Amino acid sequence: MLAVGIAVLQQPGHVAEAADKLDCLTCHKYRGLSRVDEEGKFRLFYVNNELFQSGPHRRNNCRDCHTDIDRIPHNPAKAVDCLQQCHLVEPSGNVKFSHKSIAETLARSVHGKLDAQGQPKPHAEDYPRCKDCHEEPLYRPLSVFKGVVKHGVSERSISRCKSCHKSGNFAEDFYEHVTSRLHKTRFPLETIETCAKCHQDPEFRKRHKLDDVVTTYKHTFHGKLMLLGSERTPDCLDCHVVEGENTHLIEAKTVPTSATHKANLPNTCRASDCHARAGAMLAGYQTHVTYDRHKYPLEFYMLVFFKALMAFVLYFFLALIFLELMRRLFPKFAFFKDNVPHHAVEKPKNDKNKKKES
Amino acid sequence: MAKYDPIVVKDGKRYFHRFSVNQRIQHVVLFSSVLLLAMTGFPLRHAEESWAKPLYNLFGGHQYAPTVHRIAGSVLLVLFVYHTIYWMYLFYRDDIGKLRRENRLTFRNAVKAFFSQEMVPNKKDLLDIIHIWKYLLYFTNRPPRCERMSWREKFDYFAPYWGIPILGPAGMMLWWRDEVSHVLPGIVLNAAYIMHTDEALLAILFLFFVHWYNVHYAPEKFPAAKVWLTGYLSEDEMIHEHYNEYVKMMIENGLEEEIKPQHFGGEHYGW
Repeated sequence: MLAVGIAVLQQPGHVAEAADKLDCLTCHKYRGLSRVDEEGKFRLFYVNNELFQSGPHRRNNCRDCHTDIDRIPHNPAKAVDCLQQCHLVEPSGNVKFSHKSIAETLARSVHGKLDAQGQPKPHAEDYPRCKDCHEEPLYRPLSVFKGVVKHGVSERSISRCKSCHKSGNFAEDFYEHVTSRLHKTRFPLETIETCAKCHQDPEFRKRHKLDDVVTTYKHTFHGKLMLLGSERTPDCLDCHVVEGENTHLIEAKTVPTSATHKANLPNTCRASDCHARAGAMLAGYQTHVTYDRHKYPLEFYMLVFFKALMAFVLYFFLALIFLELMRRLFPKFAFFKDNVPHHAVEKPKNDKNKKKES
Repeated sequence: MAKYDPIVVKDGKRYFHRFSVNQRIQHVVLFSSVLLLAMTGFPLRHAEESWAKPLYNLFGGHQYAPTVHRIAGSVLLVLFVYHTIYWMYLFYRDDIGKLRRENRLTFRNAVKAFFSQEMVPNKKDLLDIIHIWKYLLYFTNRPPRCERMSWREKFDYFAPYWGIPILGPAGMMLWWRDEVSHVLPGIVLNAAYIMHTDEALLAILFLFFVHWYNVHYAPEKFPAAKVWLTGYLSEDEMIHEHYNEYVKMMIENGLEEEIKPQHFGGEHYGW
């Protein structure tokens, strides 16, 4: 029985051990594996292998990224440098893979640390590095069968790959790699939360003189439908990246090539999958309205009008209802009595009071 | 159309005619579409609240609820147009037609007739509003004596009559935003959005608090008034809410001797 128990416990989940040639999980599988580092920060070293095996890095060995580990048990490892070359060969150019080109794109974007003259921008430490936006990524494979697109792996499709590509997990890896990129690799709400980490932080916004673009976005139909589960409405990247451009190339609206530059905005709204039939004037729609009196006067004064109307109407009637309920407790009391004969009809002049029933 | 007895007696109680079948059906269409609009609109307005998603999913979620909302909105707009035609027809039949028969049809008389229609606010309503505040603040022992349509009912009536022309076109602009953007600047959609969402909130709060107090929560109405179903109002309600009209109807129907004295809610409902 013990043997059976051990056998069950050691069942590998999803051919996991491929990436774990060095048996790192011997220790890192324990959920409590942690320590307080030299700076007093609590660090957790647990590796959730099930999650790791669901992402694009699953074919890498631990040491492909954690290169400074040379013995077990090892010394504190350095932070991973995402820009290093790894042992995988990128098939289209047959060169070793690196995320360097992404970093170069990012450096050209509004999120780059250096300005056009190569000088660090003010508060350069606020600008994001890879891991500020990217957690360990996960695949989001799509299943397409008879015109129905769903989340997940289509066993029917993958079986067609596997009839030729038999060895290893090649078919699975390739399938997930490709279908995850046929749509957004992250759920749109996740993208918004990623941007919100900085752009919703009041201190950060004060330092960089930015409006709360995340909250204002959530007030639009785009944001609201997304909160209700839609993936069809745009997230931040859809409007701030030129259609077909690398998503890391977000540019300030003052840059002529930016998706949100005045001259390009009509085409951003009219991107092929969005408001394709719309006129150029759609770009005049203000997405990030803060109800600032000077910046958005129309919206501000309309809002004041409606809130005032609402307050007036509701306070008037709620006071009336309250007093009326109170009045019922003392129906006959009054400071002044007036004795009008009960059958006398009150009538202002000229009031004919016609009945109009059919 | 069928004629209704102005006063019917059932189980020894008098009931006073208020609304025709046509009007009652209009009311059912009105409240069904408004409730449907509210239930498919407010989850969107408050998308961040925990109740929003389950309620929205009840109507098909982000895929189908917008269509439900648009169908209900279209029904409401059709009702609005129908009601306007209906009202113009009645005005023509009862007022203009009468003036014409009596050969008194002048512009002045037509305007006068327009403002003396039962749903149009008039001076008596203003006096009644002042009067009810005097009564509620204990300055008089007698509540106002309202006519056939009290100022409250006129307010209830004009709430949707002002609300739909604001909500409807704004909603249509948001619906056909792509087409609208060919003729109007994009900022119009910002304006339409505020008009639609804030007027909707006002309408729904007014409906839930004020109108539903008038017809549901008020002690003599609880749990629900029946006039929207039967078309008839009981004698007590008539005395309470439309005393002038009550006296007039009693006199017109030869019941002058049986007119009951005026009372206010609390006196007559035994609490």
